[in-house]
Amino acid sequence: MSQWLASVIDRANSVDDWLRPVRQEAVAQLKQTAWPTRRTEAWRYTSLHALKDLTLAEPTAAPASTEAPAITDLNSLDIVFVDGVPTTDIGSLNTPEGVRIYALDNASEEAQTQAKKVMNQAKNASHLFGLVNDALAQQGVVIDVADGAIVEQPIRVVNYVSAGVESHNRVLVKLGAKAQATIIEHGAGQGNSMNTAFAEYLVGDEAKLEHYRFALHGADAIHIGGSHFKLGEASRLNSTIVGYGSQVSRIDTDIVHAAEHADAKMNCIYLLAPSEHFDLHSLIEHAEPNGTTEQNARGIVGDKGRAVFSGRILIHRDAQKTLAELHNRNLLLSRGAQVSTKPALEIYADDVQCAHGATIAEIEEDDLYYLQTRGISREQALVMLNFGFIQELVKQMPNKALSAWLEPLLRERFKTMEPA
Amino acid sequence: MLKIEGLHANVEGNEILKGLDMTVNPGEVHAIMGPNGAGKSTLGYVLSAREEYEVTAGKVSFKEQDLLELEVDERARAGVFLAFQYPVEIPGVSNMEFLKESVNAVRKERGQEALTAAEFLKRAKEACKQVNLPLDFLKRGVNEGFSGGEKKRNEIMQMIMLEPTLCILDESDSGLDIDALKVVADGVNSQRSDDRSFIVITHYQRLLDFIKPDFVHILADGKIVKSGGPELAKEVEASGYAWLENHEEASA
Amino acid sequence: MSEQIEQAISREYEAGFVSDIESDTFPPGLDEDVIRRISKMKDEPEWMLEWRLQAFRSWQKMEEPDWAHLGYEPIDYQEISYYSAPKSMKDRPKSLDEVDPELLRTYEKLGIPLHEQEVLAGVAMDVVFDSVSVVTTFREKLAEAGVIFCPISEAIREYPELVKKYLGTVVPRTDNFFAALNSAVFTDGSFVYIPKGVRCPMELSTYFRINELNTGQFERTLIVAEEGSYVSYLEGCTAPMRDENQLHAAVVELVALDNSEIKYSTVQNWYPGDENGVGGIYNFVTKRGVAETNAKISWTQVETGSAITWKYPSCILRGDNSVGEFYSVALTRARQQADTGTKMIHLGKNTTSTIISKGISAGNSSNAYRGLVKMGPNADGARNFTECDSLLIGDTCAAHTFPYIESANPSAIVEHEATTSTVSDDQLFLCQQRGLDIEKAISMIVNGFCKDVFRELPMEFAVEAGKLLEISLEGSVG
Repeated sequence: MSQWLASVIDRANSVDDWLRPVRQEAVAQLKQTAWPTRRTEAWRYTSLHALKDLTLAEPTAAPASTEAPAITDLNSLDIVFVDGVPTTDIGSLNTPEGVRIYALDNASEEAQTQAKKVMNQAKNASHLFGLVNDALAQQGVVIDVADGAIVEQPIRVVNYVSAGVESHNRVLVKLGAKAQATIIEHGAGQGNSMNTAFAEYLVGDEAKLEHYRFALHGADAIHIGGSHFKLGEASRLNSTIVGYGSQVSRIDTDIVHAAEHADAKMNCIYLLAPSEHFDLHSLIEHAEPNGTTEQNARGIVGDKGRAVFSGRILIHRDAQKTLAELHNRNLLLSRGAQVSTKPALEIYADDVQCAHGATIAEIEEDDLYYLQTRGISREQALVMLNFGFIQELVKQMPNKALSAWLEPLLRERFKTMEPA
Repeated sequence: MLKIEGLHANVEGNEILKGLDMTVNPGEVHAIMGPNGAGKSTLGYVLSAREEYEVTAGKVSFKEQDLLELEVDERARAGVFLAFQYPVEIPGVSNMEFLKESVNAVRKERGQEALTAAEFLKRAKEACKQVNLPLDFLKRGVNEGFSGGEKKRNEIMQMIMLEPTLCILDESDSGLDIDALKVVADGVNSQRSDDRSFIVITHYQRLLDFIKPDFVHILADGKIVKSGGPELAKEVEASGYAWLENHEEASA
Repeated sequence: MSEQIEQAISREYEAGFVSDIESDTFPPGLDEDVIRRISKMKDEPEWMLEWRLQAFRSWQKMEEPDWAHLGYEPIDYQEISYYSAPKSMKDRPKSLDEVDPELLRTYEKLGIPLHEQEVLAGVAMDVVFDSVSVVTTFREKLAEAGVIFCPISEAIREYPELVKKYLGTVVPRTDNFFAALNSAVFTDGSFVYIPKGVRCPMELSTYFRINELNTGQFERTLIVAEEGSYVSYLEGCTAPMRDENQLHAAVVELVALDNSEIKYSTVQNWYPGDENGVGGIYNFVTKRGVAETNAKISWTQVETGSAITWKYPSCILRGDNSVGEFYSVALTRARQQADTGTKMIHLGKNTTSTIISKGISAGNSSNAYRGLVKMGPNADGARNFTECDSLLIGDTCAAHTFPYIESANPSAIVEHEATTSTVSDDQLFLCQQRGLDIEKAISMIVNGFCKDVFRELPMEFAVEAGKLLEISLEGSVG
């Protein structure tokens, strides 16, 4: 076992709060779990070497900010965590109608009841770091949206991690039947830090969830987390995941169609440089008939960056008439950059339409030529085509304030990735 | 040749045909017209034994046989041909290979010898020419990547090859421009003979300018509500189907 | 409708008879002594025995892989007999006239006449029965062109330098559990050597037959194509119907030197077990080729048999401009399980590979494509195109696609697509409305689905494969 994991177990054993049964359960499982190696399928392309014997205790620099990063016109309700501790007074938030927000720490009876409804309902039970999060996360937030509540104001959970700090957070969201809400998970970290952040979403019948996860961590950070969705009947999910790489960055997204006629759309974007690593694991699971899922993941990898994408579509025997599609496209900008992609179909029902596609390429000469014949310089054409590939997904984000904020951010980043 | 009596049929539990009567003699061309949802296509499917179309009452005899007793392919071999409104694609199976199997299955049933490769090819080329399809269509997958018009012409080409005794054309005119329509009609007319009958299902009178029917039937709400000669089609063109509502009120 | 389809695809296994032939068979069990005895039976030189023993020692330390999407009871390697040969083969018959007539009848029944004047024109054949090669046809004619085509056991004796030079260079002894086992106990298989600049004048073919109860078949094939040469090779295989599972663990190595081309086709029809999954061959096979500069290796497989198929014919595209191809049809029905695919390892510049995989699952079977496309850092301008399509027939089968794609070169292009579909009611209705019965309709649709692969088979065998699929899909409609 890794030194770090041993310390996780020690630390978990010393926490005595209302979640102790959950922590103990996780500890019992962690004791049985071998430290992943390259032979462990789920970690085939992501080395955990940097984490194995990690010890982080105290911040080595002051937090960059205790305020949520400003996004023009977003007007979100913000809940900010710095190094795992809320700096927002969660108890006295001015919540929109139909929304209740509770802190996980020192939870009231009511908060505990709400949390238990969601906790470990959507998350993959055997994810090593999901278990670590179970064992150690003391801080987090529970968001409960009442049946039929249409919440216009986006709710944003910001999670800053400073250099030298290890922290663990949890977000639990329950969307009642016919409710509508927008939830943003906004993560950022600097220096050598370690953070796990898992979010679970129960989406009620005919509910609509608009979801964003921004994993904008610094190059030296270790960030491991997941956003997990369980979809009710005829519910709708529209999710966008945006990641920078870091020393170790791994995000799992699970979309489970637990009832009929749900519809899910997920776009994922990653931009990696200079020697950053980003690993996105996605599971699309159709357990019931007549569901649809469309996932598009696109990434650009520069310098010595390394992107990993694993996208699995799993169709159960009963899930007839499912439509599920997954597309992963990658551009490699330089020698030394690497992409590993692993789309998978596991189909147990015959009357379904499932497809996946994956490409790794550079920009087509024909396209470049076409732009050049229109008077655009080759350099400019390259930027347009490369970035255009990402921009297409940015433009699809339903929240225009978010896309307006994100686009220049990604463009700046892209410029630094351009090969010399 | 074909006698339909009191035919009732359900699709997914909904009754679509509600007591249809019709007699088709050898050599006759019957046009079935009617508003959308009247049950026109259902009639074609029921006559060719499509699985989801359940006959709940009535009789259909075809050349002295109980047609309803026969399976889809048995009816086809007995001489019932359905030209589909929306023919499906079968990737990888060439038109030629498909037709050859099909033609020989039908010939075998009639006690005829299988066509030699050369004879088959000769006839296929002939048939293609008749409906103005380029010969390379024979090599392409069945309906694979064909335009709407090409699919319709391909259906008529198959009809010519299979030499059926009862041809049911299910909206073979839909989506065709006037030139394509003429090609389809010419193909059909070339096949008219004393021992071959046609049921031409169409929403518009236009097709009947080119394929002259002997009888025109108006199908509404699962029944034939009016029958007549070619002049009935003109009537429909002039007045549409709105008069049906009055008719129903009158008959109610 | 799906019930009708189920019935339409149930079938008889036509090659399931047992030949009444007296055999010398080792008692079950595996240790160094058994390996020494195999080596002795084959009159092998010392170096070969040593090679086997080293493989065996490695194997003992290895673990059986469990990553494939397969479920089966653990194999007891001590319950298997590792050598069996017809008694009549002891004195190595010099010509067909000396071969036991019962053996010849076996092949006749399988539709494989062995007399040169009767066989398909232009096909030379090596015939392996349990652990020995019975006969190799047209050897003289091939020798005129300088082509060596003989049992590998003979090659070890007659052409030791060639064998030593290439054996284990493509699939190392310790490559994987089953390859190590094969390296320790392989008995027969074919050796092919095409000299520089020679276009092999005939198709070469090996037919493998398992007959004896409780024996495993461990064949080893090595094909070396010298610079600028060409060869097309085909293997076929069958086994009797038995309630016991039998193990087949083969290794095939292809060496394609500069500017050469090897086309390797397989029509695999091992006994698949019965409707309830009792019996059938466990087929664990390692096949790999190395392509040097401008060389081409093309794998085509039609897999309809075996209870379990575990097989990934691969290409290491080492030379610049080398080409790898993999065309596969895998049909599983009843309780068959297949986990098959390919690896394309692009090392050289401007290397290209194409993968076309068609999986058909029916009954309670499970059919998985598993593949790796890897673009190395020096594979400038390399290209891969992959298409994996699955056809599901009925709602109790499963189809899976597990591609792994890795690229470390910015100028390499990889494109992968996969789809699943079913035989639709609309397609069946159209075919039936045109007079085809349901069996014919299904087999036509399935054949159409496989067309891109059948096109790659040598002419004589494309017809065979189509028929095999038809037999597989044929049966009584109740």
